[in-house]
Amino acid sequence: MSLAAEAFVSQIAAAEPWPQNATLYQPLREDQILLSDCASSLAVQAYLRMCGLPVRVCCRANAEYMSPSGKVPFIHVGNQVVSELGPIVQFTKAKGHSLSDGLDDVQRAEMKAYMELVNNMLLTAELYIQWCDDTTASEITRQRYSSPYSWPLNHILAYQKQWEVRRKMNAIGWAGKGLEQVYEDVSQCCQALSQRLGTQPFFFNKQPTELDALVFGHLFTILTTRLTTDELSERIKSCSNLLSFCRRIEQTYFEEDKDSQSAGSQYSRGPSLF
Amino acid sequence: MAALLELFCWKGSWGLPSVDSDSLVVLAYARFTGAPLKIHKISNPWRSPTGSLPALKTKEEGSFSHPSKIIIHLRKQKYNADYDLSAKEGADTLAFISLLEEKLVPALEYFMSLLLFCPSLSFPLPSSLMTKHPPAKIYTLWIDSKNYVEVTRRWYAENISFPLNFFLPSRMQHQQLERVRLMRGDGALEAGEEAEKELYRDAQECMNLLSQRLSSNKFFFGDSPSSLDAYVFGHLVPLLKIKLPNSRLQQHLKALDNLSNFCTNILSLYFPSEGQEGVSRPASSSQEGSDFDHEPYKRRKQLLSVLVAVAAMLSYALLSGIVAIEHVQEEGPARGAASIGPAQEEEED
Repeated sequence: MSLAAEAFVSQIAAAEPWPQNATLYQPLREDQILLSDCASSLAVQAYLRMCGLPVRVCCRANAEYMSPSGKVPFIHVGNQVVSELGPIVQFTKAKGHSLSDGLDDVQRAEMKAYMELVNNMLLTAELYIQWCDDTTASEITRQRYSSPYSWPLNHILAYQKQWEVRRKMNAIGWAGKGLEQVYEDVSQCCQALSQRLGTQPFFFNKQPTELDALVFGHLFTILTTRLTTDELSERIKSCSNLLSFCRRIEQTYFEEDKDSQSAGSQYSRGPSLF
Repeated sequence: MAALLELFCWKGSWGLPSVDSDSLVVLAYARFTGAPLKIHKISNPWRSPTGSLPALKTKEEGSFSHPSKIIIHLRKQKYNADYDLSAKEGADTLAFISLLEEKLVPALEYFMSLLLFCPSLSFPLPSSLMTKHPPAKIYTLWIDSKNYVEVTRRWYAENISFPLNFFLPSRMQHQQLERVRLMRGDGALEAGEEAEKELYRDAQECMNLLSQRLSSNKFFFGDSPSSLDAYVFGHLVPLLKIKLPNSRLQQHLKALDNLSNFCTNILSLYFPSEGQEGVSRPASSSQEGSDFDHEPYKRRKQLLSVLVAVAAMLSYALLSGIVAIEHVQEEGPARGAASIGPAQEEEED
């Protein structure tokens, strides 16, 4: 979003309260959504639940194309459409809901830095494993990504996306990394997060912030997704405080969905950490 | 452990030991830890052992090129600036380095280009650009069209040999534009006000965050410098020291007192000799270039181009017979005038 458009959206956003019919769009849960998109979507859902803002999850095959920035998830609130966690946080802040107001400057700086760390390392590693690792790409990713489409469109879209992601990996210098190196980076990132969390309930002690939502989204998704190997989830399980952190957030904010399975569980893809 | 380590890095100027951020990071880290390095300051990346700069050459284990790999190797050799950091501080280091690389490094190059390619210097392009490099760094040097035309392309045209100088710069620009677009995930990124503003906004926010984290401490973690200090120093000090025409980001940095003091502090503590050398050099380079007006160069080039054009026209005229100079004794002037006559008529056609 351009700066002028952002300022405009903020002004409009501040004018109206959060409506009841806010919707979050993501790709199809069972067949289509990929690890990285699921993680991002779960992070946004967790954040909105932490703020106490109701949102309905809607699955669409073409969510990626509907999104204003091309990335999922995006939310449709009133007559605005906002995608990705960063802009959504700013959007809710404009409406008067914020989780990080109680932080002082140093803590806010650390929070932003850790969010960048997660985006830089975890998200990129997820993308790498999905698209640049040949086994995973051929067995899981390409099929899932293009499952709503028929031949030949499914082949074209899948390869186009793969090519795009590989170009990006080239640009940031991850193309030369092997899978082992990527797993090492994920371990390092998890250890850093684990150190930062320590024994506290949330990253900034008593109150959850957007960092907690982001970390939860990624870690929970990795732990509950079956890939070709379990290497990634094993690396996370080695940090026990992160594991209990995920359980705690699931219990606190996603508990009620376990009881209302018949209504269609709003977030879970099936397995949980219980 | 006592193996001789050689470091190849970019040359320095303006009182800095090097102008390339990655080289500065490694140099600062080496000074912090007291690692005995033999430093080679060169300006041609192809002369380094790995083909890029900075590069660390060891006797037994080959060469390393990326700053993080170099620092890891130095740590293995027991030159560790982070050994008394707590685990949490180590985690913070990782997080802040990610923040730097995503938000700040991009816009920094936007300024770096404005001076790195001043004709009064003879620097080749930092080859780290050819490999991994964050968005705005690339944006600066290649995409901002004013910089590209005035600085980058001009440098390349001067320094790369014929015939590469005709197509290589524009090809590299295209490559770099692709890279920035991919990294920022934008559909269409063109040089312009908006992309520039967004880059600067991210960079300013990052600097504010760093300043808040540093607050009134001497270094980021306690009283002795660590690798995070090296990274921040390496990226910020060129912005601070180098004379730039368009200095919005520089002003923002100077307004953050604690960060500027942090940089000058490290510079005076760990690189005192560079400061003295640098003082004389900027004076001479500023006289040479008369600070980016490039007036002498411009006039000289204009004169040269006019002369070349006149010479070209004259030689064409002579060679194609439009104008013929004949050495005839008596009828010379008349014949000469007669032959110029038809040439003038032809040219008017």
